[in-house]
Amino acid sequence: MKIIRALVMNRPINLGWRVYSVSLAALLLAACIFKPTLTMNRPVFRYLLVIDITQSMNANDYQQEGFPTDRLGFVKASIRQALEYLPCGSEVGLGLFTTRNSQVLFEPLEICEHFPLIADVLEHIDWRMAWAADSHIARGLFTGLREAAVRGKDTRLVFFTDGQQFPPESDPPPFDGQPGAMAGIVVGVGGAQAVPIPRLDKENRPIGFWEYVDLRDYLPPSAIPTDGSRLYLTRLDEANLNHLATITGLNYHRLEKPEDLTLALLAKDLASEHRIAVDIRWTLALMALLLLLLTRFNPLKRKIPFLI
Amino acid sequence: MNLAFAQPWGLLLGLFAIIPLIKSGQKPISYSSLVLLPEDRLSFWLDLALRILASLTALLIVLGMAGPYLKEQWVDKIGSGAHIVLLVDRSSSMNENFSGTYLGGTSSESKSAIASRLLAEFVERRKQDLFAVVTFSAAPIYVLPLTQDHEAVRSAILALGGRGHGITNIAPGLAMALEHFSGKPVTGSRIVLLVSDGAARMEPEIAESLRQIFHDEQAALYWIYLRNPKGGKLTEAPKNANESTSPEYYLHQYFESLGIPYQAFEADNPKALQDAIAIVESLENRPLVYQEKLPRQDLSGRCYGAALICLLVLLAFQTLEVKAWNL
Repeated sequence: MKIIRALVMNRPINLGWRVYSVSLAALLLAACIFKPTLTMNRPVFRYLLVIDITQSMNANDYQQEGFPTDRLGFVKASIRQALEYLPCGSEVGLGLFTTRNSQVLFEPLEICEHFPLIADVLEHIDWRMAWAADSHIARGLFTGLREAAVRGKDTRLVFFTDGQQFPPESDPPPFDGQPGAMAGIVVGVGGAQAVPIPRLDKENRPIGFWEYVDLRDYLPPSAIPTDGSRLYLTRLDEANLNHLATITGLNYHRLEKPEDLTLALLAKDLASEHRIAVDIRWTLALMALLLLLLTRFNPLKRKIPFLI
Repeated sequence: MNLAFAQPWGLLLGLFAIIPLIKSGQKPISYSSLVLLPEDRLSFWLDLALRILASLTALLIVLGMAGPYLKEQWVDKIGSGAHIVLLVDRSSSMNENFSGTYLGGTSSESKSAIASRLLAEFVERRKQDLFAVVTFSAAPIYVLPLTQDHEAVRSAILALGGRGHGITNIAPGLAMALEHFSGKPVTGSRIVLLVSDGAARMEPEIAESLRQIFHDEQAALYWIYLRNPKGGKLTEAPKNANESTSPEYYLHQYFESLGIPYQAFEADNPKALQDAIAIVESLENRPLVYQEKLPRQDLSGRCYGAALICLLVLLAFQTLEVKAWNL
């Protein structure tokens, strides 16, 4: 009315700052209806997680509240936890390593949308899926790198193993790829203390431990101890894994706490930048809210005389 | 409850909505004596209504910022389709082409690469089916549970094209494939689609227990046998046949004896494989209760819209405010 009157009477329009403030808020809200977005670069990760499922991974050398004691179980639980912290848009594929090869179960999948499925498959990974029982760590890692390379340069290989070579190899194969061509992490699993390897039957029931007697056909005579020790022991072969990480140009991480694995997987140097459209409606809405609230305080308030 | 918030913490800002109730922000105007003014009930109610309106606007803005959405919902539908477990051979011989020549790990002509490609197309056409994936060589590998997440199924099938390792051991693979059905209600036809280029001898006890499980789970079996053109046929008994030299023939006999819906397809070239998949496709179109996913629905836009309407009403009243007794 005032505007009309002002126009009719040809007076200057003076609506006051409160009207302008609320008008601006209305404009901001109107903008929100058109779903404004801002294109931003966000770090995301594309991982191929390859897990050693040879029998030494059944050894029990983890003691952590609420986590399995066996290496494979601990790896699975740690990955499960880490997956929850990877930003949406990141992709994860799972693979298995045994004998000389890494085999991919599925191509990397976006984790937020497919989380339940990825978690289910991870849960089902089992040493009994091994297609043979040897473990040639270096060859497995190299094939893992090849599998990752096939899936694009921004695919990072994360290779979980205790480094337990079986049968022992005096001459490790040379790495014929280019060091550092693919990025990723070799994750050392297990403890520094040698522990026995459980023997499990097909139903996963323990039937003792692996002994030298069982393995003598596969071991060179030099590998069989003469001091009468019976049990074939395993420990994390960190020297070998460090060496393999160095020659391939991967990072090395020793798995001690699941939280540390999460941090290692969130490392900036493994992230790739993806352009994504970020919803900015909430920032506009917040400004509108503040503008509205601002009009409820009158900074020009004077002491009013004659107030009863 | 179907309603959820993307940023529930944002709702805390809703406390600010109290401010407009307490403060109107209107400029006070001096008047010589308020006592002289008559009590105006209309003004009182109008003032209260405007305060509530402003508070409501603030609430709606905050609600929008918290990102309310209707969760994705699964709706039961009836269509035609099936629950299909893809049981795929990943033994080292799958790296060869149909004539048995090894082609190297990444060849697109290997049996595994062709099977992978054709199965991916098959899955692509079967939008309503549920798929599970089991691969096997010496031991079975659990790749995917029965799921309608076709993107995941596709990613698992594409991975099948890679290099395989180890020998062919079918029985444990079949057992794992059938496990995918166990404990689930039968809501449509159940199929194990076995794709392999060979077979292996089966222990009699295992053969017997598999027979039982096939019956218990009411599953049908289709076997796409990727045959070397020079190799033996499933239907012709080889000379001097025994289970170790021609296990395929015996496996076929065993499958036929199971008393379940069973059909074998011999494919000795990519075209034959494609035809076999087409036949399986035409066979399995029985009614099926399946679920369709309705995507999550963002409601914050509506909140902002409602807030805008309230704000415009407020604005209209604000322009009417009197700042001084004389303009």
